[in-house]
Amino acid sequence: MTNHWIDLRNSDCILVMGSNAAANHPISMKWVQKAKDNGAKLISVDPRFTQTSARADIYAALRSGSDIAFLGGMIKYIIDNDKYFKDYVVNYTNASFIPVEKYNFDDGLFSGYDPKTRKYDSSFWAIKKDSAGIPERDITLQNPGCVFQLLKKHYSRYTPEKVSEITGTPINDLTKVYETYAATGTKDKAGTIMYAMGWTQHTVGVQNIRTMAIIQLLLGNMGIAGGGVNALRGESNVQGSTDQGLLFHILPGYLRMPTSNLATLEAYNKAITPKTADPMSANWPQNLPKYSVSLLKSFWGDKATIENDFGYGWLPKPDLGRNYSWLNLFDEMYEGKIKGFFAWGQNPACSGANANKVRQALAKLDWLVNVNIFDNETGSFWKGPGMDPKKIKTEVFMLPCAASIEKEGSIANSGRWVQWRYKAVEAPGKAKPDGEILTELMIEIRKLYKKGGKFPDPILNLKWDYTDDHGDFDAHKVAKELNGFFLKDVTIQDKQFKKGDPVPAFGFLQADGSTSCGNWIYCQSYNADGNNMARRKKDDPTGLGLYPQWSWCWPVNRRIIYNRASVDLDGQPWNPARPLLKWVDGKWVGDVPDGPWPPMSDSKNGKYPFIMKPDGLGAIFGPGLADGPFPEHYEPLECPVPANLMSGQFVNPTVKIFKGEMDKHLTCDPRFPFVGTTYRVTEHWQTGIMTRWQPWLVEAAPQMFVELSEELAKLRGINNGDKVKVSTIRGEVDCVAIVTTRFRPFKMGDLTVHQVGMPWCFGWMVPKDGGESANLLTPNVGDPNTMIPESKAFMVNITKA
Amino acid sequence: MAEGYSILVDTSKCTACRGCQVGCKQWNELPGTQTKNVGSYENPQDLSFETYKVVRFAEGSNGDGKPYWNFFSEQCRHCLSPGCMAASEKDEIVQDEKTGAVLFTPETKNLDFKATLEGCPYNIPRQDPKTKVLSKCTMCFDRITNGMIPACVKSCPTGAMQFGERDKVLDVSKKRVEELKKTFPKAIAINPDDVRVIYIVTNDPKTYWKFAAGK
Amino acid sequence: MTVTRREFLVISGAVGAGLALSSLGIDMGPVRAYADDLKKIDKIKTAKQTTTICPYCAVGCGLICSTNTKDKKIINIEGDPDHPINEGALCAKGAGLFQTTSNNPNRLKKVLYRAPGSDKWQEKSWEWAIKEIAKKVKTTRDANFIEKNANGEVVNRVEAIAHIGSAALDNEELWPLQAMMRALGLVYIEHQARI
Repeated sequence: MTNHWIDLRNSDCILVMGSNAAANHPISMKWVQKAKDNGAKLISVDPRFTQTSARADIYAALRSGSDIAFLGGMIKYIIDNDKYFKDYVVNYTNASFIPVEKYNFDDGLFSGYDPKTRKYDSSFWAIKKDSAGIPERDITLQNPGCVFQLLKKHYSRYTPEKVSEITGTPINDLTKVYETYAATGTKDKAGTIMYAMGWTQHTVGVQNIRTMAIIQLLLGNMGIAGGGVNALRGESNVQGSTDQGLLFHILPGYLRMPTSNLATLEAYNKAITPKTADPMSANWPQNLPKYSVSLLKSFWGDKATIENDFGYGWLPKPDLGRNYSWLNLFDEMYEGKIKGFFAWGQNPACSGANANKVRQALAKLDWLVNVNIFDNETGSFWKGPGMDPKKIKTEVFMLPCAASIEKEGSIANSGRWVQWRYKAVEAPGKAKPDGEILTELMIEIRKLYKKGGKFPDPILNLKWDYTDDHGDFDAHKVAKELNGFFLKDVTIQDKQFKKGDPVPAFGFLQADGSTSCGNWIYCQSYNADGNNMARRKKDDPTGLGLYPQWSWCWPVNRRIIYNRASVDLDGQPWNPARPLLKWVDGKWVGDVPDGPWPPMSDSKNGKYPFIMKPDGLGAIFGPGLADGPFPEHYEPLECPVPANLMSGQFVNPTVKIFKGEMDKHLTCDPRFPFVGTTYRVTEHWQTGIMTRWQPWLVEAAPQMFVELSEELAKLRGINNGDKVKVSTIRGEVDCVAIVTTRFRPFKMGDLTVHQVGMPWCFGWMVPKDGGESANLLTPNVGDPNTMIPESKAFMVNITKA
Repeated sequence: MAEGYSILVDTSKCTACRGCQVGCKQWNELPGTQTKNVGSYENPQDLSFETYKVVRFAEGSNGDGKPYWNFFSEQCRHCLSPGCMAASEKDEIVQDEKTGAVLFTPETKNLDFKATLEGCPYNIPRQDPKTKVLSKCTMCFDRITNGMIPACVKSCPTGAMQFGERDKVLDVSKKRVEELKKTFPKAIAINPDDVRVIYIVTNDPKTYWKFAAGK
Repeated sequence: MTVTRREFLVISGAVGAGLALSSLGIDMGPVRAYADDLKKIDKIKTAKQTTTICPYCAVGCGLICSTNTKDKKIINIEGDPDHPINEGALCAKGAGLFQTTSNNPNRLKKVLYRAPGSDKWQEKSWEWAIKEIAKKVKTTRDANFIEKNANGEVVNRVEAIAHIGSAALDNEELWPLQAMMRALGLVYIEHQARI
């Protein structure tokens, strides 16, 4: 989230789209309700009328996979009706930039596309720069070649009639949503978006979000209280696990994973450091080498020296351009190329798209280590349905671990609040905290490598001293490492620090090896003031619900990011009633400002608000993505229509299509005529492997079900409560039918399209007669930027069992 | 009596998160019962001697053709003149003077269950088939006599459930109904003069649960 | 960390004053016998209270665990009224957190091993398991270590071992976990965020 949970109460209009927050982030509704109590409007846009829709002032249905069409229509509405916040757009976004002449868009394709590689050459989307290297700008926004006019032209095609035909949303509903939301384009109104996997689990996932980011920039909603782009993250610490870099392409703090072409630290630091010629752009990423070097010092400690490139060579290098993410990982595993596997606190046998492929892939492993608090379909895959244990040679280690209340440490919520939590009791039986398990395992591995083995350097040189005097895992030691230390006596900015002192904040980190820091964005979390993550003070000086002394948030406790956009060029809040930030007597008052520099009207020292972007401005034109600088509607890989009404390009032209025997997909086929989607229920958690073992929760949600419209039920002769089978070309699942008014057929021109939906929280292990995982149905195709699978839109059949 | 406590259940704010349903089980150490999905999110299917609070789900179509989904988090109303007490002669059922909580004691095993149930306008009392003891919501008597609020009220995120002094709750209820009437002309508080657990609905109570306003 | 257990009566709308009911001096009368059976409340009054954050979604609600000082078992988990985000509220999952504790007999308490071709688990010791896993990691890593890629670039990586997980771990566990996996040369490192 750019903002945070309590801030929702400051909003005048909350759009919940690509999310069913009432069911999946239930307590967020406390703050949504408070906003409503203050007169805010709640809009729910969802293929199905959900618990969120039940509380919404406006509900609009749309077919799964058509969000860009819906939102593209909103962009057109905002521009046609002059609803955008002009001063904000001109001064804080790249609307005035001018892309190079060779930028073009025609019939679904941007210029620079290579059909052989299915990739774009993004030099076709470059921005024109003047002789000083600063982007050319047309602040009148009238030049037909400027971003604003190109935006207008691009979305001129998203007429209400066209959008309605694609989404199945009645034109009246579209207009109502557009009118209500676009009203937040004034200085005194804030609109916010709450989105989740309903947007990300698509082959156009990132572009879904981009469309909304453009809307928020047009309306001046970024960086203000009650505004922002609020990603409702899924898990209690998925924010933290992403922050700590547990993805192939990033190191802790979102530093890019070094690739095979970057042979030295110098080459790496050069590659990750963007440049700007504009003195008004803070270009904060120019500091990244300080963070990469400090990270290397945390990895290797004293072993990292300037002579050995701070141990840069000990990091493994993925090949440039090769993707090692989830879908590719399981594809390789299915091909037998992965021999050993750690499924640590995860249940891919039920959470992986095309789960049959995942389960069969597991059977090809030599060994599997499964760490969990309950038995699950992954660790026990070898006794699952369709598995013959005699034929499966995989050695499996099931390691019992501690539950959340049996250990001490921090987790980061979606609002970037890093909260410390405490141990209530010891873990039961032989179960151990994960920190203990990984500590012991690495100690044992190092023991083996001391005797010899392939390239032992990184293993033996890893700093691995995160234990207390008793040899037990010590979370505080790690937390302090994430904050960072001075490794020698220094004086920085007139302040003196001794070797071993904690670094106060990331502004003090150095690129010369004199500081270590496990994660630059966590720098300040545990410094000389103590464990800031454990704070419990309820002061709220701005009255906006920031609670700056309750726990700690990254970066540097800035509660709402991009907050320099919440003020005008003189540093005065656009809306004085919600003073998030204010320039008073030569300093900023309110939230932690996005950099200490004075307001933009200070032509010498002022800075643009979007300090993480090299150009300093919010990207309406976004050339850094795989599939285009403007979002464009494409159909899901499996879709119910014979053609894309928006262009001749049917599906996202840059997605990877897997072509193996298990990678089947089928579109517009009479055998699978209905749109299928997956979602969750409040009572179960993800694959259900924690909650399906709990009697109170199973009592409330005991069995796999599918929700379908009364019309579709009639078509298929299905009554409420009947046992039915839902199938795709990849698999089938037995469900109880919930026949409901909350799914309605979509009228898309002459077509009537039916949609059904299922939760993905069940699995064969428990409860008896609970049902199986909806992921047996979903396709393994992903967004071209993130490779998140398209679990939200695929084609199914439904029949009475 | 006008003193004592009341619980307000404002269904216009309920999101069916079932924190109340599970919170009640957690506090009262009640087991999870065996259930099946019969074509609804609603489970368990009914109150029982092991389930004092159940969220009812009801859906349909509005006049404007849009769907509705009503949530009614059912529990004992803790009536001011409890109908269940008519069958109780030896304080098997007591009504606490200070709080107004209506409590089933273990002596209810000696009562005529059918008569007791029939006496209740809201179909609340349930019997343990083994011990014959009757049970239902206790208004978390142990909590409210120890400076705490009922477990269900505490768990409610949106303020759909509130707890406090009866006259204040009645006041809040009245104001809320007036507010809601602007958008939902049929909004009412259900039998506020007769019960301590007051439900606010925005439509005919029968569109929430058949016994929402009584049998 | 111990916390003073405070409760407030009012969720919103100032319904009544925030007074502690215990100051009202309720006459228990015939209810007294029944009240004696309500022992949980008394156990909670003398329990150790620790704060925690919910392990489910990313709202990050606060909870209070009450642990019986006698048998060191958790006897109650409910919302933390002081937490500014949830103010004591919890959805069904958080409200039921008690059933993730050792009070749930299904919790894994043993180290288990499944041999090739076997249809059952065997119980093993931690020592054995850690040693075996370490051996397997080394054997697989050494046999499949990639020093240079097809372009002759030095990559020092291992593609034959993969790791996924976990969005449920603490930050202080996650950082060393990725450090360990990277030190081993793994590049297939993924977790819930990717799906």
